Amino acid sequence: MKTNATDPALELELIKAAERAAAMRQKREASARRGRMLKHAFLIAASLVMLYPLFWLLSASVKPENEIFTSLSLWPSTFQFDNYTKGWNGLPISFSVFYINSAIVTVLSVIGNLISCSFAAYAFARLRFTGRSFFFSLMMLTLMIPYHVVLIPQYVEFLKLGWVNTYLPLIVPKFLASDGFFVFLMIQFFRQLPRELDEAAEIDGCSPFKIYWRIILPLSLPAMATAAIFSFIWVWEDFLGPLIYLNDIKTFTVPLALRLFVDSQGESAFGQMFAMSVTSLVPVIIFFILFQKLIIRGIATTGMK
Amino acid sequence: MKITRRTLLGTIGATAAASALSSVPGLAADRTIRHYWWGNPERDKRTFAVIDLFQKHHAGIKVSGETIGWKDYWTKMATQTAGGNMADLIQMDYRYLFEYVRRGALKPLDEYVGKSLMVGDFDPGPLSGGVVDGKLYGLNIGSNSQVLVYNTKVFADAGIKADVINWTREDFPAICEKITSFTGGKMKGSDDLSTSVDIMQVWVRQNGREFYDADGKVTATAEDIAGFWEYWAEMRKAGVVAGKDKTVVINPPLGETGIVTGGTAISQFWSNQMVGIQALMKDKVGAAMFPHKKGGAYGQFIKPSMFMSLTRDAKDVDAAIAYMNDWVNDPESTKVLGLERGIPCSPKVRAALKPSLSDTEKDAVAFFDAIQDRVGKLPLPEPKGAGEVYELFTRSASEVVLGNIKPAEAAGRFIQDAQDIVDRAR
Amino acid sequence: MKRFITRNAPGYTFLLPWLIGFFLLTLGPILASLYLSFTKYDMVSAPRWVGWDNYVYMFTRDRRFWKALDVTFNYVLLAVPARLIMALGVAMLLDKGLRTMGIYRAIFYLPSLLGSSIAIAILWRQLFAKEGAVNEVLSFFGIDGPSWITDPHTSLYTLVVLAMWQFGSPMLIFLAGLRSIPRDLYEAAEIDGTPPWRQFTRITLPLLAPVIFFNLVLQTIDAFKTFSSVFIISHGNGAPADSLLFYTVYLFNEAFSFFRMGYASALAWVLLIIIAVFTGLAFLSSKYWVHYENERD
Repeated sequence: MKTNATDPALELELIKAAERAAAMRQKREASARRGRMLKHAFLIAASLVMLYPLFWLLSASVKPENEIFTSLSLWPSTFQFDNYTKGWNGLPISFSVFYINSAIVTVLSVIGNLISCSFAAYAFARLRFTGRSFFFSLMMLTLMIPYHVVLIPQYVEFLKLGWVNTYLPLIVPKFLASDGFFVFLMIQFFRQLPRELDEAAEIDGCSPFKIYWRIILPLSLPAMATAAIFSFIWVWEDFLGPLIYLNDIKTFTVPLALRLFVDSQGESAFGQMFAMSVTSLVPVIIFFILFQKLIIRGIATTGMK
Repeated sequence: MKITRRTLLGTIGATAAASALSSVPGLAADRTIRHYWWGNPERDKRTFAVIDLFQKHHAGIKVSGETIGWKDYWTKMATQTAGGNMADLIQMDYRYLFEYVRRGALKPLDEYVGKSLMVGDFDPGPLSGGVVDGKLYGLNIGSNSQVLVYNTKVFADAGIKADVINWTREDFPAICEKITSFTGGKMKGSDDLSTSVDIMQVWVRQNGREFYDADGKVTATAEDIAGFWEYWAEMRKAGVVAGKDKTVVINPPLGETGIVTGGTAISQFWSNQMVGIQALMKDKVGAAMFPHKKGGAYGQFIKPSMFMSLTRDAKDVDAAIAYMNDWVNDPESTKVLGLERGIPCSPKVRAALKPSLSDTEKDAVAFFDAIQDRVGKLPLPEPKGAGEVYELFTRSASEVVLGNIKPAEAAGRFIQDAQDIVDRAR
Repeated sequence: MKRFITRNAPGYTFLLPWLIGFFLLTLGPILASLYLSFTKYDMVSAPRWVGWDNYVYMFTRDRRFWKALDVTFNYVLLAVPARLIMALGVAMLLDKGLRTMGIYRAIFYLPSLLGSSIAIAILWRQLFAKEGAVNEVLSFFGIDGPSWITDPHTSLYTLVVLAMWQFGSPMLIFLAGLRSIPRDLYEAAEIDGTPPWRQFTRITLPLLAPVIFFNLVLQTIDAFKTFSSVFIISHGNGAPADSLLFYTVYLFNEAFSFFRMGYASALAWVLLIIIAVFTGLAFLSSKYWVHYENERD
């Protein structure tokens, strides 16, 4: 092409066009920047609303007892940092024990949930067998019943097994996919994966277990990470189960121990309770931050295309 | 991943069982009793100390202490009761005692009294609070009474010199008015107690009636209740008691009551709660009786604040009774327990505690002494369903406070519905 | 027969843990509660068969039952859509670009972490009190707000706000769903010049449908069963004036405060049926709007 400076008019045109394009790009970039800034501004404002309770909790955890209910200010008149040390040792058993107990129950429950619920979900979502929809309806049913009315029959059952005052009633059901929420959640994600994957694998002679392990699980990382986060949080914060099944204070989990600080009708140690509530958030937040990355990264690394 | 699912499950089961088993009581000592109470950090500390003392004195008996806060206590208790797995000894509340006794969950203590349970020198009145249908089902481990807790600083600043034991229904509104105007309306005179079942009961007794008779018939009249609600309605109208948005909150925790938040100068409690309230407040608090009806009765009564009861599921009854006996008699144990659960029934224990009381505890004891001659007999045991009637009362009272219904109409309906509830529970 | 076994074996093998759990641990208690719903049972003495009495009483004489239904339905209808829209909106905002989003995700999840703790109860009562922070903000705009939490006309809305504010879990599930949508679909659409809102209706919505469906169903079930937050905020009794008498709060008190486990069980089964009807309708409708990748032929 010999457009090279042969036609000044054309050259001018070209330069103008380039300028126009640059201007447009700039404009688009500017508007994108504005959009980003707007988005950030919105997110920051929203974050403040979202963070308010945490600020409140932090402030309550160092407030003098008589200010928690009376002063609306987030800034305590004096800082009682010893709520943390006092709280940690303020009960007949140290919080280190409660943390260990909670960790045992929570970690085992998360493992149990992930294994057993993904098994059940794989069966429901990808395998065909007689009675599938019948069992699926039963599983949904278990989600709907208000748990307070099954509390007592369940207690009687575990009592007969001799499991009361142990962690077994809290952990064993998790290995038996007792939480339909996770089964259903995983089903919804498993069903989204292309059928051809299984078919191709089957032709290659893969067993159903291999398909589950090699194809379904890796491709469902976001869902599994989500389930892990939820089961960690929910088990870590579970109160009713431990309340009913644990008698000995040495076996108490953190949420149960937190309730020992407060007597709505008598002397309480709210400051210490809040201080310990703050510390009890730390493992949850760490777990959340670690695992939410998996939700985000999941699909990118497995490259489902 | 080398571990198979089965080995993993096996290991988990084993470790879980091992870690849980190690803390199951009863493997070391050959005799074990379980004691279950509702608590708070202070009470738990004292109770576990008493358990240690008991185990030291009675080698061979292990006591498993089980505790949780009031609200969760009853849920867990009901579950354990249903499962036939109640602790041997439980802490009981006056209001729940009848419910549990009448359903056969508790064992009477009469056969042990004077033999292994020494209560001969105890004050007969408070002790008899644990008697239901002629048998002793609850050992009084502390007494209390209704109390109006007031802010002494505000009273002094406003120049109020009231005889807070002998004041009357007529004095009360005037004093509330004085406080309200002194603080320029920032602090009202008193909480609006029209939703308080305890005060309503006092009111009815001041009128010369009990709420229930021995057969569980509601003997309080619609006029009693209407009068009670109108009394408060007038103060509400005058703006000298807390506003309706404060009043319709039922059973607020101590921290949200008027006297603690500074919204009012007077709130109503039970006398064993005074220490807890003082801990939440800068100003010093004082104890008052509910104003009585001029020329009538004072209406208040002293009741057991807590009982210890022996349950249907108790296995080692002898050990349980020995523990109970130490609780109310052993000098070391009673010293550790102090007044935390209420005023002890034993004059000996009270005398021994006297020198070591805190200021607030001293006030509570002084209040107790002052009301001794003015309180009436304990009300008769309540019928089944009483708990629900209480809830109905607070609900009806809320409707009145909100102005949805006239006091007289609400009162008539309340008495009617209350009787229905009791009949349905029979 | 042999074919039957080989065809069904893999399915039942994978379902085995669930089957064991269901038949050994879950089914018994559920059937027990169904049986108890036909009895008078105070949890201390043995249950006594009363036939349909509990159900008849509930529908003919129990005014609070209807009140509880009313409160609960209002809550479900308000809170579920509000929470889902909130969750989806924020999830989409957090899905796109921006490297710092991790921190926002954590922050937006925080309220849900605090769940229904005592702190939330105290905080909520302070925020929505007459002289609370909410009214302070409103007074800037010259609005004199009521005492939100203790006014029976407004107290339910404070719970709806709480539900909206704790949108963390549906948000996270939406996010996982959005992340499971292949990026190349958007890239292709971009090249074709499809405008963003059409990308949303053409790609995002259909591919997210299974997850939307999941959240819709589960959030509805959860909303019907809402307990802990209300229980702790209303001090356990549905006050003021029964305006927070959620169904499960009523059920709980019938069971554990008034020793009527039989009646409470009947209440539970009525709620179960209500929820089942809603869930069933959702499943029926899903045939028209939820399509699964592996079942598309």
